[in-house]
Amino acid sequence: MVRMSTLPAGAAEHVDPARLPTLVRAAQRGDALAMQELLAALTPYVGRLAGPIALDDGQDAAQEALIVIFTSLRQLKEPAALFGWARAITVREAVRVARKASRARPAELDDVPDRGDPQLSADVRDVLERLTPEHRAVLTLRDLEGLDEQAIGELLALPAGTVKSRLFRARRSFRKEWDR
Amino acid sequence: MTWPVAELDNVARLRILAAAQPSALFAEEVVDAPFDAVWAVAADLERELPVLLPDVRSMRITAADGERLEGHARGYGGVRARFDIVLRPGWCVMQSRFLLGGMAAVPDGGRTRFAFLGGFRFPGMRLLAPAVEPLVRGYGPLVIRRLRDRLTGPGR
Repeated sequence: MVRMSTLPAGAAEHVDPARLPTLVRAAQRGDALAMQELLAALTPYVGRLAGPIALDDGQDAAQEALIVIFTSLRQLKEPAALFGWARAITVREAVRVARKASRARPAELDDVPDRGDPQLSADVRDVLERLTPEHRAVLTLRDLEGLDEQAIGELLALPAGTVKSRLFRARRSFRKEWDR
Repeated sequence: MTWPVAELDNVARLRILAAAQPSALFAEEVVDAPFDAVWAVAADLERELPVLLPDVRSMRITAADGERLEGHARGYGGVRARFDIVLRPGWCVMQSRFLLGGMAAVPDGGRTRFAFLGGFRFPGMRLLAPAVEPLVRGYGPLVIRRLRDRLTGPGR
């Protein structure tokens, strides 16, 4: 599991990091008020991940991910790992929902630009719509979450070398599309 | 750089909270009244909960700290319960030792999508839920019907 001991950007607006362990423990005991507070903290984060991966099905994906998160919350042993655990579930659910909806375009264009590439700022959605859900997951984890290839590989159960080569190939052919 | 974000409104969030409860009943419908009118009724817990909920005789708010409230409810059978409550526009969740309740609302054009959540918090409810479900299935729709009546009734 990819662990995350600090809160992701934006999450601290919704929950005091110092209260997180107490809230998680209370929610695991079935305290609905703690659950609704955790829900308020997790929903923007889950939506930020599910949106780019599932696109038009982003709301469904975010809802499905949050249902899995809250129905299996008792399985989370370390409260500090909440967001990393939620991230893994969200990415998996978003890819699953997007694939099920069969709205992904064919994977003839596999590639993504470098992190921080100005080309990416033009229209991220256009870029994402040309990728499969699996590739959108890699791109989201790398560019939005800032994970390195090893962490992405760990989260997606892929060898780091595979992630690296996929990103390399993706980057190259993606640029061709932008240069047309 | 603008990435697509999936946003979930209060009704979707209450649906998630309901899905996480072993026994929760959840009902969601569009009410033909603007959000402000709907929430003015729903949020007036002392006055309106006894009107909306068939088994509640009275609700008294005994403490308030921002969006956190404490309320004492009495049922028709003489049952009393102390509730911890979170109440803010479009969102209300309350729980006692044995009961759970929630309401959510979002504007839907000039109308309002309203959701109701109810459930038991008994230990072992996960096992009892299938037996209880047929008995409480109609409760959520009944609450929403009463809300509609309240919004369109005399004086409204």
